[in-house]
Amino acid sequence: MSHHLFILSPSDTPIYSLTYSSTKPAGTISSPLSSNLPTWSTSAFAGTLTALSGASSQTQHTSGGGVRIGGGQDRHVIQMIANASLDAVEDVMRKENTMYLKSVDKFNEWTVSAFITPGNSKFILLHEGKNDEGIRGFFMEVWELYVKTMMNPFYSAQRTVRSNVFDGRVRAAAKKYL
Amino acid sequence: MSSAYAHPHPRLVSSVASAASSPTASSSRFSLPSAATLVNASKSGAGHRPNIYDRNLNKTRVAEVSGSAFSFLFSEVVQYTQKRVSGINDLERRLNTLGYRVGIRVLELMIWRAESSSKMPKREIRLLPALMSIHTHVWRAVFGRPADALEKSVENADEYMIIDNDPLIERHISVPKDLSQLSCSSFTAGIVEAVLDGLGLPARVTAHSTPTAQFPSRTTILVKLEKSVLEREDLLK
Repeated sequence: MSHHLFILSPSDTPIYSLTYSSTKPAGTISSPLSSNLPTWSTSAFAGTLTALSGASSQTQHTSGGGVRIGGGQDRHVIQMIANASLDAVEDVMRKENTMYLKSVDKFNEWTVSAFITPGNSKFILLHEGKNDEGIRGFFMEVWELYVKTMMNPFYSAQRTVRSNVFDGRVRAAAKKYL
Repeated sequence: MSSAYAHPHPRLVSSVASAASSPTASSSRFSLPSAATLVNASKSGAGHRPNIYDRNLNKTRVAEVSGSAFSFLFSEVVQYTQKRVSGINDLERRLNTLGYRVGIRVLELMIWRAESSSKMPKREIRLLPALMSIHTHVWRAVFGRPADALEKSVENADEYMIIDNDPLIERHISVPKDLSQLSCSSFTAGIVEAVLDGLGLPARVTAHSTPTAQFPSRTTILVKLEKSVLEREDLLK
């Protein structure tokens, strides 16, 4: 099952993103919408439409566990889900004083968990299935790495993080916890 | 990179040598190391450069910085800034911006040190606890002791004041008469502004000298909160 991590600066500029596929099996989440949906296969936006309606998970299950391409796994759909979850995150973060906000939003097979750093940066993680403790551990490690990045005087808040070491460490943390 | 330095062009070698031996280079004000030693240093240090991600963030938690070194650095900061501005307002604004850069880092690091070991790390979302934490924790992290007072303005509901009787950064500063409006604590104000911004409580923060007979360098950091902050506070009540 795959995970998508986005790190947003305090002004919601994406500064880092990571797609990580873990070897652990995905929990099956049934989507009621997918069964009674017409197939708009001729439309140019078919991929997006089926993804939005949740039909993708069914087609993927019937095709028999190959590489999952298109549908709910499309890059632009993932980004849209992550962006849309910001509304839910901002709603919750005004009331909740914890940094780790688990399962703030749900979209088809995706669950969105978030982590708000004290300086108002956001880590958004799209995941399938439930893994609260693992995700908490993952976020804590990413937070430490993020603080270390911030301490660098040459780092400014709007810039993307391009350090290979940062990337490697985040991947290692993902491997450990997700 | 290293192969380029292994066999330097003969012309380069001779020019480096002549530059190092010339009287103008050796009598330079800050006695910079000559180009030749710089090349050697970079060669021997290659591969040993520490990575910022390997450093432990708690290593310097209780470390203290020499007061004279800091005063010297801050005096250079003020001089550098003053050369590049046209008036007091501009100077204060620039010091504020420099403080802001410090503040965003102070906030993130301070909270990380306090909360990273906890199971449920918490953020501050209410106004008064946030101001209290600035008065106590931020001051302790930056200046080694809490500020002297936190007051609410009687006239304006959106104004709060943090008072420091003897600000550390002004201990060796005497402001000339023609700049009497200036408060170098604008730097501190910038730190406070960054912390409030980070916590989602945007405000305009300024510094003002408010000397008393007992404390001649007493400074008030005035926090003027944005309207949205107060509205949200009312909703959270």
